[in-house]
Amino acid sequence: MAGLDEIIHQPLRLRIMAALTALPEAQGMDFPRLKKLTGATDGNLGAHIETLSKTGYVDVAKAFVGKKPQTTVTATATGRGAFARHVATLREIIAGAGE
Amino acid sequence: MSIDRREAAAALSDIADISRRVRQSRIYQISSLMLMLWGPLVMAGYVVSWLQPTYGGYAWVAINLIGIAGTFAISARDHASTGTRSFDVRVAAAFLLFFGFGLLWSVGMLHFTARQLGAFWPTYIMLVYTIVGLWIGAAFVAIGLGITVLTLLGYFFIGDWFELWMAVVNGGGLLLGGLWMRRN
Repeated sequence: MAGLDEIIHQPLRLRIMAALTALPEAQGMDFPRLKKLTGATDGNLGAHIETLSKTGYVDVAKAFVGKKPQTTVTATATGRGAFARHVATLREIIAGAGE
Repeated sequence: MSIDRREAAAALSDIADISRRVRQSRIYQISSLMLMLWGPLVMAGYVVSWLQPTYGGYAWVAINLIGIAGTFAISARDHASTGTRSFDVRVAAAFLLFFGFGLLWSVGMLHFTARQLGAFWPTYIMLVYTIVGLWIGAAFVAIGLGITVLTLLGYFFIGDWFELWMAVVNGGGLLLGGLWMRRN
């Protein structure tokens, strides 16, 4: 068993990665939509995105749409791989292989 | 780090829930564009049928062709930006079967009147919305049932104003449904 990914296992980071990896590859999600989906506060979400970004699991792009700043978060290939391994490990635990 | 089966199951359930909501949000996103395209077109079709009943049939053919071309364009744009296809050969085949069946009975076998056609097609299409909505989201069920009930009310109780009623109910209903989906 590969083992659980400690970065991804935190509940809010798990939700962030679940949301981003449910999108087609290379497609990102803007901050407000991610906030709505995960039920997080601005500060909390920002802090966890930074953790994921430092690990290389997500890319953060900031741009202006009109006069409004927009932050888009995208799962990287490394992040997608780590998330897939984490999910596989969770399934193994349920199947009994983790005992 | 180790967790037990219960915690693992809770984490997987959380992941499944978020993934389902993201998928639903993508479906709503593309559907809202299609509804906002078809709403005004359908509205125009009923208004032309009311103003110029003789040309109603031609107007509907033109409107359907414009609508189908627009649907393909929205799908192609979505494919270009996301890399996933929302409109493939199976969907095209499903459309052909659906409209073929409708034409077979409404025109080929039973020769519906213009008023009957005006009520048949919306309720037939809304039946699909309602059934599909059982899987992909309550918004489709609400739009499907709402337009069906209002269409039947118009068919039985709104005399000569039926086409105008349908322009508002069907065209307006699709447009409002699209705007609502976009906001959500």
